[in-house]
Amino acid sequence: MSLRRREARLGWGLVSIYFLYTAIFWGYPFVWMLILAFSRWKFVGSPKFVGLQNFFRIFEDKMFWRVFLNTMNFLSYFIPMVFIASILFAIALNRMKYFKTFVTLSFLVAYVSSGVAYSIMFQRIFSETGPINRFLYNAFGITIPWFTDPQLAMLTIAIMVTWKFVGYYGLILYSGLQAIPKSIFEAAELDGATSWVKFWKITLPLLNPAIVTVLILAVNLSFGIFTEPYMITGGGPMNRTLTFMLYMYNTAFQRINPSYATTIAIMTALINFSIVIFIRKVIEKEVTIV
Amino acid sequence: MRKKLGEIILHGVMILLALIWIYPYVWLFLSSIKPPEEIFTRFLPSRITLEHYKYIFTMAEKMERPFLRAFFNSLFVTLTVTFSVVFTSSIIAYGLSKLRFKGSNAVFNFIIFQMLFPGFMFIIPLFVLIRKLGLYNTYSAMIIPFLMSAWSLFMLTQSYKTIPQDYIEAAKIDGASTLWIIFRVMVPLSRSTLSIVGLFTFIGIWDNFLWPLMVVKDYNKMPLSVLLATFNHEYAAYVGPLMAGSVIQTLPMVLIFLIFRKQFLQGISMSFK
Repeated sequence: MSLRRREARLGWGLVSIYFLYTAIFWGYPFVWMLILAFSRWKFVGSPKFVGLQNFFRIFEDKMFWRVFLNTMNFLSYFIPMVFIASILFAIALNRMKYFKTFVTLSFLVAYVSSGVAYSIMFQRIFSETGPINRFLYNAFGITIPWFTDPQLAMLTIAIMVTWKFVGYYGLILYSGLQAIPKSIFEAAELDGATSWVKFWKITLPLLNPAIVTVLILAVNLSFGIFTEPYMITGGGPMNRTLTFMLYMYNTAFQRINPSYATTIAIMTALINFSIVIFIRKVIEKEVTIV
Repeated sequence: MRKKLGEIILHGVMILLALIWIYPYVWLFLSSIKPPEEIFTRFLPSRITLEHYKYIFTMAEKMERPFLRAFFNSLFVTLTVTFSVVFTSSIIAYGLSKLRFKGSNAVFNFIIFQMLFPGFMFIIPLFVLIRKLGLYNTYSAMIIPFLMSAWSLFMLTQSYKTIPQDYIEAAKIDGASTLWIIFRVMVPLSRSTLSIVGLFTFIGIWDNFLWPLMVVKDYNKMPLSVLLATFNHEYAAYVGPLMAGSVIQTLPMVLIFLIFRKQFLQGISMSFK
């Protein structure tokens, strides 16, 4: 009996270290987040309660909805690009016999690039005189204003982010592929299934958990984008690359409005969350391999 | 025969793609060691020069941009946080996984609940807290909010749960103390999870940008990522030194990834099980 009590006391002792820490650096900010969202405050004095005014303001805030459209725009480029690329990568890797490690590491090393460094790098690679435009000019006589055209800038950022994440997402899908038993494919082949049918009827459905994981990771990432537009475009041209995080940052530190910035953060999280729930509802299926 | 041809084409295409994927890195590295006038004109340098690196490291005297110091700031902050996260979660996870007490399940669920909230929701309230604690513009501001993490605790608790209770009982019979059990039994048996936690923490903190950008204003305390960003904003025309700085910023992440690549690959296959 006393041994169990000692065990329980030790357990609580260990856990309470974490609780104490998390109360200060998670709980306290959590409460402040709620206070700020419902008040007006400019870093000095005490917050003034304004009810739901910040949230009403968001619905009238044209810039917020510009940012929303920008993010949807980013998602519409990024999700198909990264998804198709990484599934092709996974399938190809699954069929490769040689140079597998080299290919895997080349793609993964992009994933461990630093946000600031790769923004600086791509800013130059896609610049007016950068290697890509030089190549295009020599081959076709054209140059593309990658970051200065309002329509193109978000696409260019999506290309950068795709470059970074294809290896990582591809490997998640690849390990999903490896988990599918070979015997299922063999049975299908005996029944005369073509590779097209095998892909749509076996591979994709059985890959469902991995696909959902990748899609959710990609969506969450899209809502947190900050470094690339901050470093390269500053949100321009014509606010077309302004992201939620950049807008939140600018609101808090340039327009000195931390309470409204917090409201933006909460709304961003809500939109992010509803898209994730939507994906789970529509795409996620129970998969069992009998 | 046709199958063989297909295989050769597949391998050829994949190797070509792999080369395209590392092309930006190669371009970055070559740009950092070629004469400035060749950065935008030729791929291979006509001669190799270290002037950009020299320039970056003598910046402290010239323009008050102490890059060398920033590198060590980054290293200090990152190593402190990584060590603390690994150390605290290996101890606390023991309480959550192997000790029976009322409410341990509730605590574990609370940790999962915490992980549901994206970090950006708290970033401004956390900034408010750091200012109130008088930590604005200090190293502590970059370190203290990250000393423990719910995710690492979750990962390690999951890993500890798979270790048989018999090992612990056996150690106890031999008179082992709790700390001995944690560091001599649990930790060695969870080495791969611990490396994943350490690796991701290291990469995350080294690459952290938004937070240090908010809390540090003094050039002497800035981590490399922030100093590089301010330099890019003000001296965008100094392409060579910028490339050298980017190489230095990227190198530790790539190195630690290459060292721990086995654990990293394990981590990926674990991430959706």
